[in-house]
This record gives sequence, structure tokens and C-alpha cells, in this order.
Amino acid sequence: MARQAIDDGIVGRGNQDGADLFRVWFDGLTQAAESGRGAAYVFVMGSMAELLRTFDLPIVFPEINSLQTAVRRVAHEYLDEAEDYGYSPDICGYVKADVATQLRGGELPMGRIPKPVIAVYTNACNTYIKWAEIWERMYGVPTFTLDVPGTRAAGAQTWPGDPDFENDRRYVAAQIKELIALCEQVSGVKFDIDRLRENMGHANTMSRGWQRVLELNQTRPSLFNALTDGTIYLGVSNGLRGSGAGAQYFVELVEEMEYKAERGIGTLTDERYRLLFVGVPCYPIFRRFSELFTEWGGTFVNSTYLWFASGGSNAGFQYDLERPLDSLAEGVLISVRDAMDAMFFQTEILVEMIDAYQADGVVYHPIKSCRTVSTGLADNRRALMESRDVPSLFIESDMMDRRVVSEAQLKNRVDAFFEGLAARRGQAAAPTT
Amino acid sequence: MTEYWRWKETRWHDEDRDWRDGELITAGVDVGSVSSQAVVMVDGELYAFSNMRTGSDSPESARKAMDWAIEGTGLTLDDVGFVVGTGYGRVNVPFSDKAITEIACHARGANYMYGPSVRTVLDMGGQDCKVIRCDERGKVGAFVMNDKCAAGTGRGMEVFADLLAIPIEEVGELSLQVEEEPPPVSCTCVVFAKSEATALLREGWPKSKVLAAYCSAMAHRVVTLLEQVGIEEDFAITGGIAKNIGIVSRLEGEIGIKALPAKFDTQIAGGVGGALFAQSLLKKKLGAN
Repeated sequence: MARQAIDDGIVGRGNQDGADLFRVWFDGLTQAAESGRGAAYVFVMGSMAELLRTFDLPIVFPEINSLQTAVRRVAHEYLDEAEDYGYSPDICGYVKADVATQLRGGELPMGRIPKPVIAVYTNACNTYIKWAEIWERMYGVPTFTLDVPGTRAAGAQTWPGDPDFENDRRYVAAQIKELIALCEQVSGVKFDIDRLRENMGHANTMSRGWQRVLELNQTRPSLFNALTDGTIYLGVSNGLRGSGAGAQYFVELVEEMEYKAERGIGTLTDERYRLLFVGVPCYPIFRRFSELFTEWGGTFVNSTYLWFASGGSNAGFQYDLERPLDSLAEGVLISVRDAMDAMFFQTEILVEMIDAYQADGVVYHPIKSCRTVSTGLADNRRALMESRDVPSLFIESDMMDRRVVSEAQLKNRVDAFFEGLAARRGQAAAPTT
Repeated sequence: MTEYWRWKETRWHDEDRDWRDGELITAGVDVGSVSSQAVVMVDGELYAFSNMRTGSDSPESARKAMDWAIEGTGLTLDDVGFVVGTGYGRVNVPFSDKAITEIACHARGANYMYGPSVRTVLDMGGQDCKVIRCDERGKVGAFVMNDKCAAGTGRGMEVFADLLAIPIEEVGELSLQVEEEPPPVSCTCVVFAKSEATALLREGWPKSKVLAAYCSAMAHRVVTLLEQVGIEEDFAITGGIAKNIGIVSRLEGEIGIKALPAKFDTQIAGGVGGALFAQSLLKKKLGAN
């Protein structure tokens, strides 16, 4: 069966195509940089890519660039350079790697990024705002904060039709109109609502696909590892959002996952434990970090990262193309709010995930570099332990900085976690007398 | 030059017993970051142990600990049916049959050393602290460990003993010789704590007061860790710091729970657990044959 699958060229296609698309994307950014074109700098939680593409602006995701330096094991060079420049070791590693990238004229291991002509960001992460101010100071470019009202309290989300939601939607829609005017001014391109409609259609396909791919991983064995494979899919979900290539990718990814599900083809790991991951991955030792779990037969079946770092695309929101601007505001409101909820109101989400994905354990991974995603995880863990009898592991390292990643300490804790899972399973299997 | 930090290495074996009368001889070798222990059990009962400093070479430390534990008993390594390696150096025990983390081993060891009523084990080791919740069989339910700094651990205490020129075994008692508790010193970084202590000495603080401030800070730090997983009685403390009355009494005062009294050397819990795991595994192995 596996042989047949390989012959069909379907299994593993998402990983290969994802890598290829990234190369093409970076080649395009390098060309833009070399021809002196300016880019829109955006972030994963509310990138507004479907709108920005209508102005022919190359789109740069500094968070993705920074994590790529860590995966390619050169992050320390960038961090050192930013710290030498004056940034504190306590500042977000993504920010510092980007500062060094700017100091290097946009040079990255994957290519060269263009300078910004505009920065667009939401309030989903408080660092976004201060980060954009760096570019403002460096390049004198306009920055635009899209203020998205979040959930006021756990379980208190409002929905279309509710007066509070409608107020919030109007608030976001008004900001989008201001953003359009600014983009026209910066790019010199007149806003074209039909192009926006087309891009939103692509975003619909991608969101629908992303939601379906995540849902299909409830299959046993799981079809992909949410920590490793999932990060590749996530990269495409963000980097190519609102593009035809991105839409095509997700159509084919769903096809791959359905193909695997029908044939019972899982990951390369002999799946013994199904795990959920909370937080941002440990990119400086990305492969090894994953191996600490897969060596024990642990596979990550889902993660909060695939939710919040996709800007809430996991929710599968579908834009109404008949009323693009209002629907864009509604989609941004719901999706970005969902991304924030995946960080700040995790307990309910994790309880649902545990049940739906039949998870054997939950791994919390707070990181030094990002307090936004890490604050409250210890409390969240305790709350989860009270509502579900599922073992959890709490390990700390970083998404960027190798200096605060201690592999021996991580391994010690991970090994003990699996010993506990094995003992628990043994007890459950033991005959009762 | 006096090395105030140097704690006493110990060994013991049961002279009233002949290991040849037993059937299952197993060992647990705990190679930690600061100390190493080898524990030999005969049919699930403690027979011999050693407790010594870990050197720079983990395999050599394991060998030395094992040699010392069986010294004078007539036992050889060939007589030991199953060896479990544990601790940070668990994969570097050349003669072990299996490696198991010290978290599982401490829970199992505490169950033997303090009895099956133990539900919360606090291990205050050489370079980390861990809190383990366990059941009546000594199986781990949940655990949490401190972060990477040595402050609040055995190594941090060694640094303080040296700084104040107080033999490490006397630190706890001396820290209690204060009329009132001073405010705690910094305890998130052992280097910072040392600098702070130096400044306090310069201000004229007596050594007992400085030690009281440090022990108090360490106790509070551990309480924070305990609160992360919650404390369920009975409560037991293992590891080298369990021998420091200055920390233990402050800790007990803060949580309002008395730790169970130690009947054995608190540093051998990991090795005891390892030897007990080894016994189960040996039984399984013999049964399979």
C-alpha cells in the first residue's frame, strides 16, 4: 500500500510543495529587493494579505524570516548583532533577528528581503506595535495598527447579529477603509474591489482547506505531525494567503490527507501516544526537539500554534464575496479574535481538542522570547488538570535563542513524561482483581 | 585550604545479612550532576549503598559508586542480576541494563523509604528541584521541575558554605540561630545571591543572618514550585538539601505541613527507586525465560 501511495506521488506532496513554494516566494522577494521595490511588512495574526495583494505589494513576514534563521541554525549571529547594536537580551528574539536583518540590508539565509514601504499589523501581539515603530524610525515609513477588539471574557464571544459584534465589525470596517486609502497612497495603485474579491476567494479556499486538514488529523494514526509537518503547512497558509498558488496548495493538501486517511497512512513515527502542543516550537533545535518525542512514539496531533499563528484561519471563516469589505472586517474580527483566544483562553480549546483528537497528553512549551504566548501557561495547565485527567508536561526553552535551550534538561523532562504515560497505560491495561 | 562545601561521602551495607541468601540482586545507580549513588537491593530490601561526588567522567563516577557500595561484601557486578541507571548521567552508566529518569525513580524510592502513604515528593537535588505527585504504588502522576539556575539547589548551597566559610553540614543549624527572620535574599540566580550576600556581610550582618536569609529564600522558591502541582499529604523530601534543617523547617512552616521523617539517607532515593525498578524488570526477564 505504501509503495502504491509513493507511486501516486501524493504522500509527502504537501511537504515538498510547501518547500518549493517557499523557495519561489523568497526568490520573488529577492528580485523585488534587487529591483528596489518596497514591500508591505505584516504579521501572521491578521496579515491582511488578501487586501495588500491588490496593491501589488510584495509581502514580507518578519516573524517567518526570523524563525527561518533559527531553523537554519544561524539565529545566534543575528541575535548577537542586534544585541551589539543595543537591544536587550530580554527582547523578543524575532524582533532582534529582524533588526539584524535590516542592519544587513535585508540579507537572510533564504535570500534578500525588500525594505518596507508600509507596515500593517493588528494588536494581536503587543510587540507588533513596538516592532513596527523600529521600521518607522529606520525608514520613515507609515505604520498602520488595525485595532481588533478581542474576547472580553472566557466564553463571551459575540457573533454576527449581536449588537456588540456589529459595533466591533463597524469599528474594524472603518479602519480597513483608512488602510485602503493609505495603501493607494503608498503604492500608487488604485484599489480594485474585484481583485480583492478574487483574493478573498483564494483565502476562502485556504481557510476551508486548513480547517479540513486539521480536522482530518483526528484520524488514527494521525496523518501528519502538527509540530513538524504542520509548521510547513502553516508557513504556506500565512505566506501565500490570498494567492492562487496558496489556494491550489490547500486543495491538494486536503486531497493528500484524505488519501492518507482512507488508506491508514500515518507519519513515519510508530504512533503510540497522541499529543497536543501548546506554544511556539523550539526552532533552534527544531528536528532534535521533535525527536525527543517521536523516539518514544509520541506524535503531535494538533497544537495551539497552528491556530494562533495562522491568524485564526483554522476556524475556516468564509468571506461573503457579495459584500467584500464588510465581510473582510467580519472575517478579520472573528479570525484574529480566534487567534488571540488560542493564546489567552486556551483551556476550553484544549479540552475540546483532547476529546476530538483522543489525546494522551498535553505538552506546554513556554518560551523566554515571547511572554505574550507564555504568560499564564502554568495556570492554564492547572486549570486543564482540573477539568481533564490527561497527563501534561511543562518544558521551557526558546523559539530563537540557543543560549536558553538546554537539551539535556528538556530530554530529562520529556523522558519522565513518557515513562509516566507508559506506566499509566500499563496500569490501565492491567487486569483488575 | 578548607573546602567548606565538601559534604561527607558515605557508604553502608547490611552486615547482619548475607546477600547469598537472596534470590534477586538488583542495583540502581543514580549519576546526578553533583552526587552519585549506587544502591544494591536483595529481594527488594536495601542491602548496600554508596553516596559520593560525581566527577567529570560520568561512566567512571558510576563505576566508583558501584565499587564502593559493594566493597567488603563479597559481591561482584556479575552477581547483580539487573542494573538500572538513573539521574542526568543515566545513559552513561556502562553496566546498566536500562535507563529510567530520576523522576520515576525518586517517586518509587520515596514510596519504599517513607511508605506508600506518600503522595507528594520534593526532591531537592544538586542542580535541580522537582516536585512529584505519586500514587500508593509510587507511580508518577504529575511532576514539575525548577528552571535552569542552581540557586535553590545543592550546588547553590555549596557556594554559600564556601563563601561564608561554614561547613555545609552546619549551615542549616546556624541559619536558625537568629532572633528574627531577615528578609530573603535574591534566589533566582546563585551568582546574584552570592553578590547580595557579600554586600550584606559588608554591612555587618552576622553569618547566621545571611544564611537565614538565603535558606528562607530557597524555601520560598521551592514552595512556589510545590504550588504549581499542589501539595497532597503525606509529604516527603529527598535529596541532599533534605538534610538542611534550616530550609526544611522554613519550608514546613510556609506550607503548614510536616515532612515525613527520614529513615534512610535522603540522597539515595533515586538509587533505591532504580534498584526497585530493576527488581521488577529482572522478575519479568526471568519469567520470560
